[in-house]
Amino acid sequence: MHIPDNFLSTPVWASLDAISIPAVGLMIKRAGRDLPDTRIPLLGVMGAFVFAAQMINFPVGAGTSGHLVGGALLACALGPAPAVLVMTTILVIQAFVFQDGGVLALGANVFNMAVAGVLAGYWPFQLWGAARRNSAIFAGGFLSVLVSGSLALAELLISGVRMPRLLVFTSLGLFAVNAAIEGAITISVVQALDRLNPGFVQKPGRSNSRVLIVLSTAGVLLGIAGFLLASSAPDAIQSLGQTLGMSARTNFQTPMANYSAGNFESAWLRRAIAGLTGLLLICGLCLAGARFVGRRRSA
Amino acid sequence: MHHVLVDQWSQGSSPLHARDPRAKVLVLLIFLVALATASPNAFPTLIIYAALLASGILIAGLPLGGLLLRSMGILPFSLTFGLITWLAGDRWRALGLVEKSYLSTVAVLLLVGTTPLPRLLGGLEALGTPRLLVLMAQFLYRYLFVISEQAQHMRLAAACRGGASGTRRHAKFRAAAAGAIAVLFARSYYRAEGVHRALMSRAFSGRFALLNPLRFGWMDACFAAGVGALLVLARVQ
Repeated sequence: MHIPDNFLSTPVWASLDAISIPAVGLMIKRAGRDLPDTRIPLLGVMGAFVFAAQMINFPVGAGTSGHLVGGALLACALGPAPAVLVMTTILVIQAFVFQDGGVLALGANVFNMAVAGVLAGYWPFQLWGAARRNSAIFAGGFLSVLVSGSLALAELLISGVRMPRLLVFTSLGLFAVNAAIEGAITISVVQALDRLNPGFVQKPGRSNSRVLIVLSTAGVLLGIAGFLLASSAPDAIQSLGQTLGMSARTNFQTPMANYSAGNFESAWLRRAIAGLTGLLLICGLCLAGARFVGRRRSA
Repeated sequence: MHHVLVDQWSQGSSPLHARDPRAKVLVLLIFLVALATASPNAFPTLIIYAALLASGILIAGLPLGGLLLRSMGILPFSLTFGLITWLAGDRWRALGLVEKSYLSTVAVLLLVGTTPLPRLLGGLEALGTPRLLVLMAQFLYRYLFVISEQAQHMRLAAACRGGASGTRRHAKFRAAAAGAIAVLFARSYYRAEGVHRALMSRAFSGRFALLNPLRFGWMDACFAAGVGALLVLARVQ
């Protein structure tokens, strides 16, 4: 599910980068509030644990095996905000060291897998984890994989990657199967963890905050919307991308002869400048917000 | 292992290794953005970019063939999508997917092949990445190999005891795998506590110091400006 560079059109990856940066910033602030400094090495080492845990194969049946993805497990064990950060760090290391997922597409991957995926994985645990823990943990694993997969697919479709209907259905079906496997793995690992030390997995609803509930509900809804849109009408989501000007398809489809170079360049420049201005604006806003918060806190 | 090789590459001493990581990251970003917005039939631009990458690899003294081969890891994914797009009748886009994602991968590999990861992370921090994320990435990379090795040992141990062969009794093997992951979790957790105590007893200040601190000198500024201008020129020509 790691999207490499040049699969997404420029408006899509630029806007997802612009969304992910403040989202991760927010999570850093929350994690800083919830966590004592002693847990910084813990978060890094847990990232290494997720890498390593993916080497352990799970027999799923019919001779196939799956492996843990880890978003929901981390969210239940460490809390949502630290889990988002651990997944973000994993994605950064994967993009740079292993060339798994693009650098420009890092924002998209962080959004799909670290932010939306982890928050969606924590959502059931937060809502009904106290009453029906097992079903909540299964639903968390299920949702985390389903949401990140369908978001990635929706982003590819919006970017104008053409996929036949059958392929869209097949990949959505595969996501659902993988999601169920992740749910099953998460729940059996959590049960094993409980036998080792019941303190590893958080009590549900401990970090009850309205912001998190709103964000994770938004993540779940967004993922499900992507799933439904992509499954009901792959063409509709592509034309949506085209009307929003997010699809790169229109540029590439027309033969080169029809292009006056000046026209293309100015459109490219305009788009690049608009994107850069947006990024700068958001960076400025974040910096100003951080300074404001810092001043209020020290006052 | 793959990353160990890249780690070896990054220890070299070439003009490219010596540049400040900030300069290299900036150039990489300019390259990626220019490439991402280039149309897939702008062959002069793509050829210039490929030539720049190749000369970068040669200047850095990295094995050209090895690096190009390693970048092929992207191909299974991009070729599949390229084929689908080609069959859907979007030939330029299909070509663009394959060639541009390959060039991007080579560029990223050239960056990590000439910059040791601690220096790269230091550069990212100097460019404004939050300290918490950088610190986590340092710990992650440092313990990645330790904990992966532990996982390998556990897998070997399970295989020795008949835990990996035969697919009849799924429930039992599932429970064994879940137990292995839980034990790995607990070991990582306690290792992190030990790491923290060790750091505290050595008066860890909250950031890792680099052996030679980063210095953005004239050469780095010239490198970033020159290569950046070349990339932009090749893109808008």
